[in-house]
Amino acid sequence: MSTKSTAGELTEDYLARLAAVQPRDLPEDLDLFDEATATRGLRLNKAAYSLKHAEQRELFARDEEAWMDQFGITDEERELMRDRDWIGLWRAGMTIYVMVKLSGVTGVPLPEIGKQMRESG
Amino acid sequence: MARILGGVGASHAPSMEHVYDAGEEVRRNEEWEPLFGPFQEVSDWLGELRPDRLVVIYNDHMDEFFLNAYPTFALGVADEYPIADEGFGARPLPPLPGDAALGWHIARSLVADEFDPTICQELEVDHGVISPLPMVDFAEGDGQWRIPVVPLAVNVILHPLPTPRRCYKLGQALRRAILSYPEDLGVVVVGTGGLSHQLTGPRFGRVTPDWDQKFMRLLADEPETLCDYKHEDLIKLGGTESVEVVNWLAMRGTLPPKASPVVEAYYAHRIMGYGLQAFAVAE
Repeated sequence: MSTKSTAGELTEDYLARLAAVQPRDLPEDLDLFDEATATRGLRLNKAAYSLKHAEQRELFARDEEAWMDQFGITDEERELMRDRDWIGLWRAGMTIYVMVKLSGVTGVPLPEIGKQMRESG
Repeated sequence: MARILGGVGASHAPSMEHVYDAGEEVRRNEEWEPLFGPFQEVSDWLGELRPDRLVVIYNDHMDEFFLNAYPTFALGVADEYPIADEGFGARPLPPLPGDAALGWHIARSLVADEFDPTICQELEVDHGVISPLPMVDFAEGDGQWRIPVVPLAVNVILHPLPTPRRCYKLGQALRRAILSYPEDLGVVVVGTGGLSHQLTGPRFGRVTPDWDQKFMRLLADEPETLCDYKHEDLIKLGGTESVEVVNWLAMRGTLPPKASPVVEAYYAHRIMGYGLQAFAVAE
């Protein structure tokens, strides 16, 4: 197959637009929730998302390990949860939007999470 | 035919809900007056304007939508929108009244304009809608929603996100959808989110007031210029989570090129750059 016939279709304008939806030129500490993070974090995000349901919050309060059993999360991920290692959970791909729900059930307020995040730098 | 009476850009944040729910005294204390005072001005202005409908462009925070199927644009076509439980129990507010017929019309018009939203017959709304809404909708402050709403959600969470220019064009398409609706309704469009905030990583809590104020100036005077900003630019200038300002840009797209704010306020406080901007449209 000749590449010549399609090369004209991939205009500079198109290539610039394609590049723009994948920010790359960011400081390292500004990680994005994108392909890599979302792939890495799906299990953890599912787990924390479940906490929008009152019965999941009750199970968390009653038996945190049994709550974690439901989501197929890894031993390392369990350890991050047990340790309330917020920056670790973030690096493992948990979004802040579901982390806030986890903050609710663990009784760790957002400013405390923020303090840990800042101190990680 | 329906008309667009104005537009409102407003931050959204759980903190605004806590303050609102704590009552009038807290809203008007020294700490919160700089934000809730201007909100009262918007509320008074809307009380006079008496819009029949609100279209609210916002983003969900994984309270309705999840990563199994995350919609880029999602439009409500329901007559009622329950308040989401964000993980702490739902805020004790009645469900938002909707307007399914207007929602469906907007859906058809957007699709005709080559915007293809996820169409939602059921949708729970979270603080992306309801943290600023009481100040906009409870014109007389009795906890009853007055103005039926059509919610339009934008993905600002899972990259790739729709570009700022795309969101502005979405607003322009939404304008045509409203103007082509046969009922004689006055509509105000609300865009929520931002301004600067950073909730992840070592820069947690970073707020950038200079950029926020420049953003509001550009939004009023040069919205096309903002379309040239990339997400990367917005993230560097205002923080990772501040990209939700594209909701304001979509709102601005529903207004004429020349539109001047009737209320404008900015308050950098704690971990948020709070912004508020209300535009009247000359009849």
